Amino acid sequence: MEENKSTQVATTNEATGLSTDSVVQYIVVKIGSEQYGINIKYVDNIVRMQNITRVPKAQTYYRGVINLRGEIVPVMSLRLRLGLEADQFSNKTRIIIVKLENATIGIIVDEVREVVNLTEEDVERTGYEQNTDVNKTNYISAVGKSNNELISLLDVSAVINEKVEG
Amino acid sequence: MDVSQYLEIFIDESKEHLQTLSDELMVLEKEPENEDTINEIFRAAHSMKGMAGTMGYSNMQNLTHDMEDVLSAIRTGKMKVTSDLVDVLFQCLDALDKYVTNIQETSAEGDDKNEAIIKKLNDILNNGTGAAPAEAAQGAEKAEEAAAPANEDAPYKKLVLADHEKNAVNEAINKGLKVYAITVSVEANCILKAARAFLVFKGLEGLCDIVKSEPSVQDIEDERFDLDFSMVVITEKSFDEIIAVIKNVSEIRDAVGEEIKTPYSDDVKEKEDTKTAVSKNVKETAPAAKTTAPATTDKGGAHPQAAKAKPVGRSVRVDIEKLDVLMNLVSELIIAKNGLVAASDDATAASSSSFNEQIEYLERVTTNLHESVMKVRMMPIESVVSKFPRMIRDLSKKLDKKMELIMTGEDTELDRTVIDEIGDPLMHILRNSADHGLESAEIRAERGKPEVGTITLDAYQDGNNVVIECGDDGNGIDVEKVRRKAVEKGTLTQEQADALTEKEVVDLLFRPSFSTADKISDVSGRGVGLDVVKSKIEALGGDVEVRTEYGVGSKFIIRLPLTLAIIQALMVRLGDEKYAIALGSIQTIEDIPVTEIKYVHSKEVIHLRGNVIPLVRLRTILDVPVDQDAPEDENLTIVIVKKGDKLAGLVVDSLIGQQEIVIKSLGKHININKMISGATILGDGEVALIIDANALV
Repeated sequence: MEENKSTQVATTNEATGLSTDSVVQYIVVKIGSEQYGINIKYVDNIVRMQNITRVPKAQTYYRGVINLRGEIVPVMSLRLRLGLEADQFSNKTRIIIVKLENATIGIIVDEVREVVNLTEEDVERTGYEQNTDVNKTNYISAVGKSNNELISLLDVSAVINEKVEG
Repeated sequence: MDVSQYLEIFIDESKEHLQTLSDELMVLEKEPENEDTINEIFRAAHSMKGMAGTMGYSNMQNLTHDMEDVLSAIRTGKMKVTSDLVDVLFQCLDALDKYVTNIQETSAEGDDKNEAIIKKLNDILNNGTGAAPAEAAQGAEKAEEAAAPANEDAPYKKLVLADHEKNAVNEAINKGLKVYAITVSVEANCILKAARAFLVFKGLEGLCDIVKSEPSVQDIEDERFDLDFSMVVITEKSFDEIIAVIKNVSEIRDAVGEEIKTPYSDDVKEKEDTKTAVSKNVKETAPAAKTTAPATTDKGGAHPQAAKAKPVGRSVRVDIEKLDVLMNLVSELIIAKNGLVAASDDATAASSSSFNEQIEYLERVTTNLHESVMKVRMMPIESVVSKFPRMIRDLSKKLDKKMELIMTGEDTELDRTVIDEIGDPLMHILRNSADHGLESAEIRAERGKPEVGTITLDAYQDGNNVVIECGDDGNGIDVEKVRRKAVEKGTLTQEQADALTEKEVVDLLFRPSFSTADKISDVSGRGVGLDVVKSKIEALGGDVEVRTEYGVGSKFIIRLPLTLAIIQALMVRLGDEKYAIALGSIQTIEDIPVTEIKYVHSKEVIHLRGNVIPLVRLRTILDVPVDQDAPEDENLTIVIVKKGDKLAGLVVDSLIGQQEIVIKSLGKHININKMISGATILGDGEVALIIDANALV
């Protein structure tokens, strides 16, 4: 467990790209009216919405599995993961395929907006790291600013990995 | 020398040798006089020593060297095999095994010199051989009694010739020249050893050809030798003349040797073999010298192993990853084929007849290809179970119970991935049997059972499954005790416990929550980690079942799928969703009117040909969205599945057909229920989940 935690922390820092001064690229996606950023290095692919096969008894935020060029990829709804109301699929709905720790997972988002470059100055971390409430899982690692808009930067590994109970 | 490229071979072969050692030691313990066994053990130890030396693993080499000393003392009859001795040799094996494991993991053998074991070996050697420990210590590969006792330790008998050197010797013998193997020893206080040796070579130069020297001439010139060196020479002169020339050089203590009269056979396969074969061969020359060395004697000497060894199929070692790639390609081919099949359904009937023919052809090819690739991945289960006799022996000593392990069907084949994983669960079960299953000698006597407990391990193929049965004739599981325990622990209430059938009670043992201590037997508790056993076997797509009778014994029956990746399946429809059910577990498919459903304990059952079969409404347990308006059918389509001797009827909406499907994992992030064993990709690119019928029965 101990080990698990430390890697978690390590990837968290990586996920925000805060350890380096260089510019980090984020894919900006929309969920409802909010914008979220996903570090581009985790993104393998972005595919259109397709038929999802329901998996019985899976976690509620998993919509099921898809066939991605011969591979079975579980697909989760970011909306449900973040505790929002269920997705209404439109022709803007996309599945972002992320690769992390040898796992490939699809994340359903309402819309993919753009790719932004964020430097250290654009990213604000205040208040998010100090979240000590263990029961409330925190999927946001920081907030970035671009063109006067706020982008919540997703902690991809926290989104994908099940938090240890308790 | 860069030996890294040989590392893999080294590890593989070391493991083989260790296995041989272990097997033969078991035999030796039972038949201490068995010469063949002693020789076999000696050869294996010797090969390992040679290999370890070549690879530069000195600790391992030292240990095998000392082992070899002891073994050779046994071989020459200077020592008797005792139980203690075998124990120490087993400890050596464990130590060697550890070296090999270290090497495999880090490619270094580790720093443990295992001095304790080496000391034990030496003690045994000193005590066992009495007056002549030193001789015995060096006594490896020594000549038989027939050889002159003074020459017994002469290192020239150990000379190992390379192929070309052997050819030279053989040629010389054919030409009627004389070949001598000679060992020259230098005075212990000689200062200029290299110079003396040089003089010896110089003196011999005009008289003979030196085919081989040990150490090499270069090493000798650099003074890298102890007090003696050996060589093989070809000459026309007599033996005495040569010896005289050597002894002529001052500070040479002695020169001994003998003529090699029999040609070497030249088709020795492996280096390791060569060593043993040649040393044996040289040895053979001593007695052979008296007779006129018929070629047949020599042959027999050179191929002792070849004659005895089991016929080995021609094989290539292939990296398992390469096979995985091949397997994936076959999988894709099958998916592509399924796609074509699906497409052909759309095509008009007129144009599709030749198209269909081609598809059928393709189907045949992919099926065959699949089968061949599967076969490549198959390994006999022997590689896992062969370590168990040793384990049982150790347990028998440790627990002070007499027991024996009887194994059958070791040649049953399983997929490599399964083989790798099945070892631990099996070991667990066997340990359980030995520790908690078998009763103590007194109780056995009381029950009128033979003193020696029997543990059996039988493997056989049953349709698409491989079944492994681990049984013992011990105590069996005390069902009442488990029941009591379950209530005590609060796992069940008294009523619940009473309601359980015997089988259900036994199944409690596999529950992780039903933890172990003092459960069945009074020792540490049968059922140690049985939940782990179960989960591991289930992860392999198999299942485990227990049959037990109190006082008579118990039997664990493990059922494993023959293949992991591709299976024949029945596709069924539930609502708008498609699911696959492995054909292997399907017994029959029935059409039953709703009116025939009966209720037992408010559970739905049907009565079919004398069997009462519980029904499973797949729609309900899989939470398939139901169209409320749809009228209930008058007939139900029921797929009867079988697990062991239990049946269950799965209610489906409709059948789609039989298909060859490729099993894919869903990954570890999405939680899947046990009844889903994986997913597959259909011809139209859609994903269908695979229902594990075993979990539903």
